Amino acid sequence: MPLKSLPMPDPGVPDLSSPLAFLRWMQRSQRRGQLLATCWGVLELACQAALPLALGLGIQAAVAGDTAAIWRAGALALLLAALQSLGGVQLHRQAVWNWITAASQLRQLLARQASRLGAGLSRRIATGELVAVSNSDVERIGWYVELTARVRAAVVVWLGLSAVVLSRRPLLGLAVLLGVPVLAASVWPLLAPLERRYGKQRAFAGRATELAADTVAGLRVLRGIGGEELFLERYRAASQQVRGAAVRTARIWSLMQAQQVLLPGLFVVATTWYGAELVVRGRIGVGELVAVYGAMAFLASPLRILGEAAHAWSVARVSAERATQVLALTRTAGEQTLAAALTRPERADLHDPVTGLTARAGRITAVVCGDPDVAGHLAGRLGGHLPLAEDERPEPSVRLGGTPLDELPLGEARAAVLVHDKEPVLLSGTLAELFEVPASGRVTTAQALTAVRADDVLDALVDGSPECGGDPMRARITERGRSLSGGQRQRLALARSLVADPAVLVLDEPTSAVDAHTESRIAAGLRELRDGRTTVLFATSPLLLDRADTVLLVHQGRVAATGSHRELLRSCPQYRAVVTRDTEPALPEQTAPEAVPAAGPAAAQTHSEEKV
Amino acid sequence: MKPPVVRQHGPAAMLPVASPATVRSYLRLLARRHRSGFAAVIGLHAVATVAGLVGPWVLGSLVQELSTGTTEGRILAGIGWYLLALLVQSAFIGWSRLRGSVLGEEVLADLREDFLVRSVALPPGVLERAGTGDLVSRGTTDIDRLAKSVREAVPELAVALVSVALVLGALLLTSPLLAVTAVIGMPLLLATSRWYFRRAPQSYRSESAGYAAVNTVLAETVDAGRTVEALRLGEERIRLTDRRIGEWLAWERYTLWLRTVWFPSVDATYALAVLATLTLGGVYAVHGWIGIGQLTAGVLYAQALTNPVDLILRWYDELQVGQASLARLVGVREVADPETDEHVQPAGHQVSAAEVRFGYREGADVLHGISLEVAPGSRVALVGPSGAGKSTLGRLLAGIYAPGRGSVTLGGAPLARMPAERIRAEVALVNQEHHVFVGTLRDNLRLARAEADDVELHAALAAVDAQGWVAALPEGLDTEVGSGGTGLTPPQAQQLALARLVLADPHTLVLDEATSLLDPRAARHLERSLSRVLEGRTVIAIAHRLHTAHDADVIAVVEQGRISEYGSHPELVAAGGPYAALWRSWRDEG
Repeated sequence: MPLKSLPMPDPGVPDLSSPLAFLRWMQRSQRRGQLLATCWGVLELACQAALPLALGLGIQAAVAGDTAAIWRAGALALLLAALQSLGGVQLHRQAVWNWITAASQLRQLLARQASRLGAGLSRRIATGELVAVSNSDVERIGWYVELTARVRAAVVVWLGLSAVVLSRRPLLGLAVLLGVPVLAASVWPLLAPLERRYGKQRAFAGRATELAADTVAGLRVLRGIGGEELFLERYRAASQQVRGAAVRTARIWSLMQAQQVLLPGLFVVATTWYGAELVVRGRIGVGELVAVYGAMAFLASPLRILGEAAHAWSVARVSAERATQVLALTRTAGEQTLAAALTRPERADLHDPVTGLTARAGRITAVVCGDPDVAGHLAGRLGGHLPLAEDERPEPSVRLGGTPLDELPLGEARAAVLVHDKEPVLLSGTLAELFEVPASGRVTTAQALTAVRADDVLDALVDGSPECGGDPMRARITERGRSLSGGQRQRLALARSLVADPAVLVLDEPTSAVDAHTESRIAAGLRELRDGRTTVLFATSPLLLDRADTVLLVHQGRVAATGSHRELLRSCPQYRAVVTRDTEPALPEQTAPEAVPAAGPAAAQTHSEEKV
Repeated sequence: MKPPVVRQHGPAAMLPVASPATVRSYLRLLARRHRSGFAAVIGLHAVATVAGLVGPWVLGSLVQELSTGTTEGRILAGIGWYLLALLVQSAFIGWSRLRGSVLGEEVLADLREDFLVRSVALPPGVLERAGTGDLVSRGTTDIDRLAKSVREAVPELAVALVSVALVLGALLLTSPLLAVTAVIGMPLLLATSRWYFRRAPQSYRSESAGYAAVNTVLAETVDAGRTVEALRLGEERIRLTDRRIGEWLAWERYTLWLRTVWFPSVDATYALAVLATLTLGGVYAVHGWIGIGQLTAGVLYAQALTNPVDLILRWYDELQVGQASLARLVGVREVADPETDEHVQPAGHQVSAAEVRFGYREGADVLHGISLEVAPGSRVALVGPSGAGKSTLGRLLAGIYAPGRGSVTLGGAPLARMPAERIRAEVALVNQEHHVFVGTLRDNLRLARAEADDVELHAALAAVDAQGWVAALPEGLDTEVGSGGTGLTPPQAQQLALARLVLADPHTLVLDEATSLLDPRAARHLERSLSRVLEGRTVIAIAHRLHTAHDADVIAVVEQGRISEYGSHPELVAAGGPYAALWRSWRDEG
């Protein structure tokens, strides 16, 4: 099977100069497949066109009472049918193969593009765009690429049939030659309004689907607070809008269906009439009349292909445009060649000239920053190669042991400094697969899981995937870890970064959703596993800050104070304000009129038997 | 060729899939609702098909008359009939297709609306356990698949079945002998189709799952762009995509092979039908058992069978895909509603748990006999390590789950016996989920109290400190928010959720780590909004941050499904247990 050669080892470098050039490039990269499909298509259609001839011969023979001729006609029909079937199956196989080749090649290109763009993708386009290309545009482009071979076959057979008929009955031949393009063109006037109405229907349907998905996704809120009727009414209105639009589309579509019966039908009626006249005048036999009738009816096949082609072209053009746009994106505005190199990153201090922040090699440096957005941006900067939007200018680069990170090749910079951002994504797969990341090999998965106190996460994973047979490493993590709680997700992500064990690890609020009990234990585990490695920890929890070697307070874009957590608590009111919450208690003092008479403790009682 | 190995795609659905009996009874319901529409479509199509059969009949008669000698007038009359029939056929085809679409769209609208009506009435406990992911995919993917079935497969199949019946009828009228001859290849068709349809539906489902799996990987790579780049997973993602493409292609290859076997056998049956009518029919004609006209019409009718039979075969498995989706949609009807009683009325606001035991699975209890009294207006903090059962306890106190043993009561009445609509007027669970619905800001607020006017909405927003940014929005309350609209920041979304609480005005709140997913520095601001909402209400807070616990009247430390420490903050600190140790490291007093 030719399919064995897919997916390709390398999908190649596409021509992105224009959508048409891109489609041509895709066709060129499967030239042999295109040629084969055309040949099989010609065989199938030609046999189909010739079959009425055998029928005509058979009927003529029956009229003449010639049994031997009947059997001969039967044999011819059998041969034609067999060849047609062979051509049909082979065409189908080849066409599907061509479609698959184009679709998988494009999807391979998209996967490579997504990996290349990495963090830069969301700064360049809406992320949904790339996925939409891979989902629906792939199908359409594949369809167009595959269809060209069938169109070629249809044109060859139509011209061939015209030539044969033209040589015997010039008037009929002319009708075939001109009739096909005229009939094919006759659907065009309806095509544009159909597309328009269908587009509207799709937009309404998209809106209704969105509403349904949204309502269902927020159902826990609705069931908890109310508002089901409000949202149902809204959905009903959207649903009825879809119905109305779909019926309006169906009006044109049913008109087209009627037209597709009527016009070719008229053509067949006219030729049958003409044929019958010829029979009356003794110019042809009844058998030939049947053959003419059959041949005219056959023309529906190439007509269908031509109609399909018009439709395919109109949608593939748009899809190819989207695909070329996505494939032409680059990570940053201008990608320059990067020549700097690092020596012993684990022994180097990390320094940011913008804020004046320095993280000593081999130490845990905690950074406290009042504004979460500033902290997030600073954490991103510490890794270098911050993706920029079109209009952004880069700031001076962070240096690792004197080497500007921005001048290192991207991969090398990422290997030296790992920025664990606020929302690290858990990629779906088994737990074992989650930890398959480029790593130093110094920290085992078991050590990392222990450090983040993940016992309850492992239990939850085993509970949630019955197929893992009790082994948490074989348990599946669903997309984005949705089946886990926020704190559980954070701990797995932290464990993954610990396994990667980079020379420099920048952590931005890694345990913000973890309870205090667990957080204090994680702080100890982190200390142990990052021993001798450089760690920058953005945090506000005293449980974490207390474990750092040095704490920096960043205020108004600069490092404002340095010291240990306890020193800063004592000496720096600004620090105290950010870290402790003396000024703003979370639960207000009792103000409720029906407040319990006695002080707090008496307000609630427990009867828990296991009370310690 | 053997089918590829099936890969497991994540955990199984937790919501039921309808049994065939439920699907059948639902279909009967739909059929009753749309009986007249369905009859009209079949009737119109029957007329169109009969008109379409006139063509071969005319040709047959022409051949008959031409071979015996005829006049111009007879030809003209025949052609006239043909033309008339063609006009009727075209008109009725258009008409029946239109009526079919109208009917199909009505059925589809019913299906999707019925689904949502049932979904929004699902018991909160079921939603909490099963999550909403499966339900969302039923509401989107399955509805789309079913739309394809209802719009294309059902009408095509109905039309094709009518056509086959009518063509066979015409063949029988033309000559019973020829009719028997034409169906000579049927056993072959039945045998190979049986073979094919035993394998095909499952394989096509796997194939489309494989196609979607490639997309899932790609979507994840895109979505996790930062993580992929930071951890240098780019090459791995490319390899994974290529592997998924390989798995998808394995199914493509397999289904292609199924068709490679099946298609020629189908072709052979068609050819057999035409050949048998032609040759055997020719012999019958030579023997004078049938006329030339009958022979011609018979051959053409035999050929005319090809198209509708092809349609039946083509759409049959699409119908099966639709059936699977229908079973998933109708499945939500099989979720049992908890037995509730409209008449259970709470007397007072006291929340009590007595000897509560609870487990998600048989024999694996998460809570082991917890008792807790929450006085009206008091604040209780539940603290403890992850997985100790704090959230589960919170959900029991909010009436979302019913206790396995023991009881949870509100004002003396068991929560488990109250309908969700009653409970939520009294108790609300505030969790990490702060869903912003697609729609206007007003819709997002009014869901909590449908009759609220703008003054009340603004007051609620002011109460949570959100009037500032709402006033800054260009269209105020009419601003479209949610996915596709103006994006709200997580703290804004959380404030919106809090404003809903102000509107809904329950006297008791269960806070489940309500602000924990937010950046702690943003959470501080939000806590101001939250504390305004909490004023004057009973609060049960599942706390991550110790300062939340510090401010509560009572702290219950939950460990391994039991309450291990209990008392006010000063009491617990004085007791010198684990809580005290934690507090000292938090506040640096040690």
